[in-house]
Amino acid sequence: MSVNNNLKVEDVTKLYGYGLLGLKKFKALDNITLNIDLEKPKIVVLAGETGSGKTTLLRIIMGVIKPEIGRVLYKGYDIHRLKGSMAKWYRREVQPIFQDPYEAFNPLRRIDSYFYDTAKNICEIRDRNESEYRIDETLKFVGLSLDRISGKYPHEFSGGELQRISIARALLTNPKILLADEPVSMLDATLRVGILNILKNLKEKLNMIVIYVTHDLSTAYYIGDDISIMYRGTLVEYGPTSKVYQEPKHPYTYALLESILEPDPAIRERYPSIKPSALELKEFLIAGCRYANRCPYARDICWHKLPPFIEVDGINVRCWKYLNYKE
Amino acid sequence: MGIEMIRDILTVNNLDGGYEVFIGGKRRVFVHAVDNVSLTLHDNEVLGIAGESGCGKSTLAKMIYGAIIPPLIVRSGNISLSTKNGDIVELNKLNIDEIRKKIWWLEISYIPQNSMNVLNPLKRIKDQFINIFKYHGIEIDRNEIMKYLKDTLSILGLPPEVINAYPHQLSGGMRQRVVIALSLLFNPRTVLADEPTTAVDVVTQRIILSLIKEWRENNKSSLILISHDMSVHAYMDDRVAIMYAGNIVEVGNTFDIFKEPLHPYTRALIESLIRKGDKSLRKGLTGQPPDLVNPPPGCRFHPRCPYAMDICRSKEPPSISLDKDRYVRCWLYTNIR
Repeated sequence: MSVNNNLKVEDVTKLYGYGLLGLKKFKALDNITLNIDLEKPKIVVLAGETGSGKTTLLRIIMGVIKPEIGRVLYKGYDIHRLKGSMAKWYRREVQPIFQDPYEAFNPLRRIDSYFYDTAKNICEIRDRNESEYRIDETLKFVGLSLDRISGKYPHEFSGGELQRISIARALLTNPKILLADEPVSMLDATLRVGILNILKNLKEKLNMIVIYVTHDLSTAYYIGDDISIMYRGTLVEYGPTSKVYQEPKHPYTYALLESILEPDPAIRERYPSIKPSALELKEFLIAGCRYANRCPYARDICWHKLPPFIEVDGINVRCWKYLNYKE
Repeated sequence: MGIEMIRDILTVNNLDGGYEVFIGGKRRVFVHAVDNVSLTLHDNEVLGIAGESGCGKSTLAKMIYGAIIPPLIVRSGNISLSTKNGDIVELNKLNIDEIRKKIWWLEISYIPQNSMNVLNPLKRIKDQFINIFKYHGIEIDRNEIMKYLKDTLSILGLPPEVINAYPHQLSGGMRQRVVIALSLLFNPRTVLADEPTTAVDVVTQRIILSLIKEWRENNKSSLILISHDMSVHAYMDDRVAIMYAGNIVEVGNTFDIFKEPLHPYTRALIESLIRKGDKSLRKGLTGQPPDLVNPPPGCRFHPRCPYAMDICRSKEPPSISLDKDRYVRCWLYTNIR
């Protein structure tokens, strides 16, 4: 049945404190709704600037942060209410990898011990031979092998290799979804492509869903099928990557795509000029569209009311520009 | 004086150095971060230094800036700078106090990566500016400073309230702009920017780079821009120097480097770049940069190089000049000369 075979983020709002003692609250995430069909393998990109709430959203999906309002449903189960064996099941189904591979591993612990522990505790494989076989298999998928990592410590690997190892560790549980939080931003350009190609393989060979969080829109285009653009805690646009890149609908997406620098000196004169940004917190506190402050099309209504999602040419966008609203 | 020749404002000759670390007070370990580097910076140009993390580009910047504080040591080579009044100063012969008083801010200034650690958290922005005037013994009226400050900050797109704010009240991008305003205060002829936009997002990055660009063009100053991001180099530079494991492997005009990279490392680097609107499968390099404590003999790139020959494994390649301002350090090009 396809009704329950999806990951649903329903009206999620997360509040963070600020000011003295953190008593005043602002919405780090405001009313986020996302629906990912688990039947269709794809790479979904969550893109946005620093502080746009993309990592917070990922952590909510991971289950480590609880939202104040709204819920996350995985195959129909509210993931923040799972207990015991069901919580373990969710942990097998959804696995994360992180930005800095050097911080993800304890420097004093051998790399292979992470694999044996995951096999024992989460996959519940008791037989040593069987777990060795499984570990070797997943490592081979990322271009390594158990022989190459056994007995070694994190400092003996390069950043690129460690990121491969953490992907292999995540794959051990046979997950349906991989949550990748900026997996390549700490890596050098020459190693970056290798990791991105592995993420592509996860989709193509293992039929997985990859949720790829990034601020880098060129890598987002390289591997992404769908993209959601976030700005100051709101989701402003959601659609197929190629469509969004060709014809961005939201003024913010437009500005963001315009400001990407490209590795080609021939086009340096073609960049248009842009407006410097104002204070961040002020923008979070706007009741309406967070982009109103900088938007060239801003009207009165934009400041007071968050626009609803509407579909324009196959892209879901949150912008009053496309709505005939009488003030 | 008629036609002016291209003048060099800063020359680095055979600079060699690194970090000397003592482990357990006894065993001496030398991290050879800058290996025999020669570079020139012309008047009124942007020279980019590109390379991956740990290739020695920031160490090179520190040496050029004259911030040679142990464990960083310079083993050989010299750096000469031509000052505003026409003197040639050998930077590595001066002691740190002289450099502080006479060179920093006035002749060379430095834009660091993380502005968070540069501004004094207990002082308002305006007081940080006043301090710098005081330090350099410039007598200036307080009101005049305020007026000047408001002008500079508005050029950088910052609201006038900023001068009364403490650093923590500003966002990362705003702080970075304040630091840029500080470093350009006395119109230095040379500016060293070490990853000026790595900590900020794309939109702010564009703004900051455009501001630096505009300022430089108006003042006819020279800029050394250090970044790992090739897109930044494509946007800003006149010439690019590519660094790998402490060596400068290739120098050339930006257009040439991007269109026709010569060194195998530069080639791999350019090929691995992902462009917006391009989904074709790309290849990266395997392996990792060498350990600078114990670099491989010969060319430091040979373990990863697809064209490695016997000579590459034993002898360091010479720097080959192929054209005006185009150098490559690779055995593949020795016959072409």
